[in-house]
Amino acid sequence: MNFKTVIALLLAAGVAVALWGAAAWQLLPSGWPALSFDPDAMNLQQILLAFGLMPRGVIALVAGAALGLSGALLQAVLRNPVADPTTLGISSGAQLALVMATIFAPGLLEHGRWPVALAGAGMATAIVMGIGARRAFAPVTMVIAGMLVGMTTSAIATAITLARGEYLLSLVIWNGGSLVQQDWSGVRSLALVLVIGGVGALLLARPLRVLSLGAAGASALGMNVANIRLAVIALAVLLAGSVSAELGLIGFVGLAAPALARSLGARTMGQVLLIAPLIGALILSVCDGIVLTLAGATGEMFPTGALTGLIGGPLLIWLLPRLRGSTPPGTETAEGIAPRLERPARLLAGLLVIALLLTVLLVWIGRVPQGWAVLDWDSFRAFLPLRLPRIVAAAAVGALLAMAGAILQRLTANPLASPEVLGVSGGATIGYVVTLFTVATPGLGVQTFGTMVGGALALVLVATFARRRDMPAERVLLAGIAVSAMAAAFLSAVMATGSTQSWQVLAWLSGSSSVVGFGQAIALAALAVLVLIGARMTRRWLQILPLGPEVGSGLGLPLDKARIGLIALAGIATGAATVLVGPVSFVGLMAPHVSRRIGFARAQDHVAGSALIGALLMIAADFGARMAGFPYELPLGLFASLLGAPWLIWLMMRMKR
Amino acid sequence: MSDALFTISGLCVDVPGRRLLDGLDLTLPRGQVVALIGHNGSGKSTLLKVLARQVAASVGEVRFQDRPLADWLPRDYARALAFMPQTTPPAEGMTVRELVALGRYPWHGALGRFGPQDHAAVSAALAECAITALADRLVDTLSGGERQRVWLAMMVAQEAGALLLDEPISALDIAHQVEVLSLVRRMCHEQNRSAIVVLHEVNMAARFCDHIVALKGGKLILQGTPSDLMTPEALARIYGLPMQVLHRADGGQVAIPA
Repeated sequence: MNFKTVIALLLAAGVAVALWGAAAWQLLPSGWPALSFDPDAMNLQQILLAFGLMPRGVIALVAGAALGLSGALLQAVLRNPVADPTTLGISSGAQLALVMATIFAPGLLEHGRWPVALAGAGMATAIVMGIGARRAFAPVTMVIAGMLVGMTTSAIATAITLARGEYLLSLVIWNGGSLVQQDWSGVRSLALVLVIGGVGALLLARPLRVLSLGAAGASALGMNVANIRLAVIALAVLLAGSVSAELGLIGFVGLAAPALARSLGARTMGQVLLIAPLIGALILSVCDGIVLTLAGATGEMFPTGALTGLIGGPLLIWLLPRLRGSTPPGTETAEGIAPRLERPARLLAGLLVIALLLTVLLVWIGRVPQGWAVLDWDSFRAFLPLRLPRIVAAAAVGALLAMAGAILQRLTANPLASPEVLGVSGGATIGYVVTLFTVATPGLGVQTFGTMVGGALALVLVATFARRRDMPAERVLLAGIAVSAMAAAFLSAVMATGSTQSWQVLAWLSGSSSVVGFGQAIALAALAVLVLIGARMTRRWLQILPLGPEVGSGLGLPLDKARIGLIALAGIATGAATVLVGPVSFVGLMAPHVSRRIGFARAQDHVAGSALIGALLMIAADFGARMAGFPYELPLGLFASLLGAPWLIWLMMRMKR
Repeated sequence: MSDALFTISGLCVDVPGRRLLDGLDLTLPRGQVVALIGHNGSGKSTLLKVLARQVAASVGEVRFQDRPLADWLPRDYARALAFMPQTTPPAEGMTVRELVALGRYPWHGALGRFGPQDHAAVSAALAECAITALADRLVDTLSGGERQRVWLAMMVAQEAGALLLDEPISALDIAHQVEVLSLVRRMCHEQNRSAIVVLHEVNMAARFCDHIVALKGGKLILQGTPSDLMTPEALARIYGLPMQVLHRADGGQVAIPA
C-alpha cells in the first residue's frame, strides 16, 4: 500500500459520496430528518431520504464489500484470478431457485428469499465444484463450467418465466440487481452476513496462505485441504448468495475488487482479504451513484447490477493476458480413450439415412386434439409446406451448431468449447436487441441482418485475441465468455425496461422455428453444406491443431491464418443458426461429444458425424417442442437446452481426472 | 554453402524483468548431434525455441543455412527443420500411421494430394524407427518409449535435414533413454541429418553427442567435443558444483558429483 493507492481510494470514495449526495440534495429542501427516524414526524421527502436513499447508499457499500470478500475468497481457494460469484454460476443458481419457488412453491418464500436463494446458490456451486474437482480446478475449465451452469440455469429460468405467461416484473428487475430500498431491514441482514464473513475470513486467512502453495504442498504441511476448501467456499457462497437474495444479480464486483486490490499493490493474503471488500464497496457505490445521477427520479427501476455487468466484460478481457499459464498439462484434455471406428463411412451413411427417414416420418405423424394421427395422402400434401421447412431448418441449424462446436473443440483442444462460449451468440443477441430498439417495426430481414452484424463484431473481437501468438487457444474462449457476460448484462437492463420489445426479446431468446419460410430453410441447409465443405478442406488443420501450437508451427502450419479462418467458419455457422434458435441450445457442445464417443476419430469424420448427430438432435428437439405442450408450441432452443443440460452436467461429472 | 547449420550473432531474448539469453554468438555445425546443456534456467530451452521460431529474438540475428530466420516461409522452414516439444501432447484418437503422416504436412499442405511419395516417406519413417508393427495402434495406448519413437518417426517423415529435440529423454527409464538417443545418433550419422538436443544428463550428452554447447545464465560458457566437457574444471564451471570424472576401461568417461 503506497501513497498513490491511498489517494486513489480516497478519490473513489469522494466520487461515491458526491454522487450519492447529489441525489440526496434533490430531497434536501425540507431539511434533514430527525435522527430517531420517526415516520410520523417526517414529510414525504424526508421519508424518501431516510428509508429509501439512505439505506440504498449504505446497502451499496455493504453488498459491494460482501461481493468483494466473496470474490477474494474464491480466487484464493481456487488459485484462479478469474473466479467470482458470477463466473462460477453461484448467482444464477440463486436466481433459478427463486424463480422456481416464486412460481411453483410460493409457500417456501414465507420465510423470506434467503433460504431459497442460498439453497440454489449452494447447489449450483456444488455442480461447478464437482466438475472442477475432477480436473484439478484448472482455471479455464472452472470458468467454462461455471458459465455453462450459469447459462443453463438462466435458460431454465427463462423457460419457466415464459411458460407461465405472466410477466414477472419483480423477478426480472430482481434479476437485474436493483438496489432500490424501502427500509433498513436489508441493510441490517446484509451487515450481519458481512460481519460473519469478515470474522470467518479472519480465521481462514492463515490456512488460505498455506493453501496458496497448492493442495499437495498444503497437505504436506499437515493441513486438511478438503475441509478448509469446503469452509472457504461455503463462506463465499453465503456472502454471494445473501447479496443475490437481497438485491439480485450484481455481476463482476467480486471479480473486479480482488483484481484491483492486487494491481494496487496488495500482496499478501491478508492485504487482499482486507482491501478487496473495501474496493468492492467503492465500486458498487460509484456504480449506484452513476445510476442515481443518470436515471434521476425515473431511474428507480434501472438495475445497478446491469451496469456492473457492463463493466465486467471489458474487465475480464483486460485480465486475460495477465492470467498466468497455470494450467497443469493434461487437465484440460478429454476423458479416457474413446473408441475408433474401422469404417466410419458406413455409419455416416447410416446416420444420413436415419435423418432423412425421420424427416419424412415426422412430417407424416403428429398430434391432433383426439390423440396421435398418421396423415392420409391429402393432408400430407397439405401439411408438407408447413412442416417440411421447419424440420429442414431445424436440422440445418443443428448441423451448423454441431460443426461449429466440433471445429472449436479441435481448435482449442478443449472438450468444453462450444459456440455458446465463443461469444458469437452473445454478440448476436446484442445485435438483435439493438435492432429491435433502434429500428421501428423491423422486418425479418432487418432483424437477421442486425443479429449477424452483432455476431460478426463479437467474432472480430475474439479473432483479435486469437491473433496473439502468446495467447493459448483455450484462453480465447475466455474472451468469448466476456462477450457473453456483457450480453447478459445488456439483456437484463433491457428486460428491466418492461417494454413490449423486451417481450419479443424474451421469446427470441428461447428460439422458435415456427416462423421459418421455405426460402430460409433452403438457405440454412445450403450454408450447412458449405460449412461442411469448408471443414473438409481444412481437415488437416483440424487434425494437427489439437496437438498444440508447438507441433503445429513445427510442421509449418500457418497458425494465425488457420485460427482466424476456423474461428470465422465457426462464427458464421453459429451466427446463422442463432438467428433461428436463439443463443443457447448446447447442440454445439453435445453433438461433437456424441460423435467422438461413437468412434469418429479422424477430423473429417468427426465433423461430418457431428453435423449429422446435431441435425438428428435438433429434429428431435423440434418434434418435442411441437408435441410436448400441444396445442401450444414450446420454444425450440429452450427444448434443446432442456434436453442438453442434464447430459452436459452428467458428461462433465464423469470426466476422468 | 558453408558448413554451419545455424549462425547466431549477438542473440538476446528478453521477457519482462529478465534477460533469458544474453548476447549469444555461436555457430552450430551441420551433420552432427549437438547437445545443449546447462543448469536449470540457463537458457538452453529458450535457445531451442528461438531456433524453432517459437520465440522471437529481442536483439541479434539467427541465420539458418545462411538465410535469416525471418526470411523463411513457414512451410519451407518445416521442410528443412523438424521440432519435437518437451512434452509431446496427447494424440487423441490417432493411430501411429496417422500421426506419422502428419509429418508430410509441409510437403502436401492443407489441400494437396497425399501421393505415393508421401506414402513411401511414411513407410520409410516407420521402418527407420522400428515401429512398423505398431502402425495401426492408437498412439495414446503406447508406452513412453514407443511414443517417443513415434514422434521421432513423424520428424523423419517430415524429411527435414535438421532435428530439434527438447529434452527427449527426460521422462524415460535408462534403457529407453539409451534406445532413443542411439536412434537419434543413427538417424544423423547414417542419413546425414543434423540434430540439436537439449539434455539434462551430462553423461548421456558425452556418450551420444558429437558436439557440446553449454550455457550458463544465458551466456555461452563452453563449446567443444565431449572430451572438452568431461573435465572436472569444465563441469564445475557449468554446474557450479565440484565434479569428478572417472575413466572407464574402454576409454569412456563418467562424471559424478565429487
